[in-house]
Amino acid sequence: MSKPHYDREHHVKKATGVGDPQCFKGEAGKARFKVGDRVRVKDLPSLFYSRTMVYTRGAECTIAELVYESPPPEDEAWDNCENPEWFYSVIFRQKDLWPEYPDAYSSDTLETELSERWLELV
Amino acid sequence: MAEKHKAAPMVDEISDFEVLEIAVRELAIEKGLFTAEDHQQWSEYMETVGPLPAARLVAKAWLDPEYKKLAVTDGVKASLEVGIDWINDMPSHFGTPSDYCNLRVLEDTPTLKHVVVCTLCSCYPRPILGQSPEWYRTPNYRRRIVRWPRQVLSEFGLQLPENVQVRVEDSNQKSRFIVLPVRPEGTDGWSEDQLAEIVTRDCLIGVAVPKPGKTVNDKRPIHPAINPVDH
Amino acid sequence: MTPDRKKVMKHINIGSQLQPALHVEQHAPFPDLIDNAHIRAYTRAVHDVGGEPDVPIQWEEKEEEVWEHNTFITCEVLAWRGVWNAEERRRRQNVDVGQTQYLGLSYYGRWLLTAARILVDKQYITNSELSDKMDEVRKRYE
Repeated sequence: MSKPHYDREHHVKKATGVGDPQCFKGEAGKARFKVGDRVRVKDLPSLFYSRTMVYTRGAECTIAELVYESPPPEDEAWDNCENPEWFYSVIFRQKDLWPEYPDAYSSDTLETELSERWLELV
Repeated sequence: MAEKHKAAPMVDEISDFEVLEIAVRELAIEKGLFTAEDHQQWSEYMETVGPLPAARLVAKAWLDPEYKKLAVTDGVKASLEVGIDWINDMPSHFGTPSDYCNLRVLEDTPTLKHVVVCTLCSCYPRPILGQSPEWYRTPNYRRRIVRWPRQVLSEFGLQLPENVQVRVEDSNQKSRFIVLPVRPEGTDGWSEDQLAEIVTRDCLIGVAVPKPGKTVNDKRPIHPAINPVDH
Repeated sequence: MTPDRKKVMKHINIGSQLQPALHVEQHAPFPDLIDNAHIRAYTRAVHDVGGEPDVPIQWEEKEEEVWEHNTFITCEVLAWRGVWNAEERRRRQNVDVGQTQYLGLSYYGRWLLTAARILVDKQYITNSELSDKMDEVRKRYE
């Protein structure tokens, strides 16, 4: 049985002098969402790895910014970098995340970044 | 490297993790995955990082509205003016692997206060802020700050009135964050150096706000190391 | 609350109560004793702790051990030289380790185990080589 061969050069070739995530710029195609869109976070199955926190799943939020393009972490965690997508900065009302959040602080918010595959228009 | 810091070696005084650390490093070098010089070079790079450039970025933004605009729209470019190149400063020249190259500067206002956490690990803007504090890495901080932010902030001595919106930033992907706090009263006419002095690490994470005369983080217990790094 | 949000809140609640398993009469229970909420809880990514209830603690600073500093550097240099990328590192050290090690070991303890593991998993070294090297390093301190 032969040993696997890993390409240890591909990332360094792509990102040197450019940076990461800058090195994936232009690879995700057209963004599906725009600033101000109301979206909901999908509660997709996520065995083994995800960076979409469970507490955001099923909650509505607003697109605040298109931040960069990059492979989704669920794939990049195994060095699969072929399918970059748009990442969005999204803002939740805390009251939409936590049932007990006090009314007195109803303007409090939480911001985080999620990749396009996790979002759907409300 | 590690060995030279060690006291008289005794089998009971070396932990399995100290053994494993040396073993992994030496094996990686023997197999040609990296060199001892690579390791040394990165270690020297880490000795250059700390919170001062981020404090200076805030001070400059307080003094120069144009620079503030740049900071909040392009944190990586703004970092260059305080001597931090997110892409080329480190031996890799593609950013640090752990911190990537997408700094975002979160601007507080009199009615908006940011605080940063990484609930999934402990993502932190090391190139411009240095190593993260231990409490920032604890599951406890990560569990609670997203859900009970006002309570956790009050534990850090920061009580915020109802009319101030608290915004928790969960730093979960490739962006890294620093907070640009509101410039405090009583600092009129101050120089950039004077202003930078009151922008502590805790202010840049968002668990404290700058105050004239306060140039250090709140005093907390320091858990000692058995065999501490000498920097 | 929508059905999705009810499920999410239940998940966060179960997750916060999971403990590294201690002995009970029968570990690995019959499949009909495990519902979907528990399958989800046991297969969750253990780094995902946001929103879990916990009590206030004393916030502390910490001095860094030499081996912790070296571990951090080793992990960065492994990425610089293409052995892994940061996402793979984060996956291995924050999720693959499982709940028992995640909560029971120190922060850099997980980094270090993971740095050893990647060398073995990708066949850059054999597990026997690692064992022999650890044995040899320990003997230096006898």
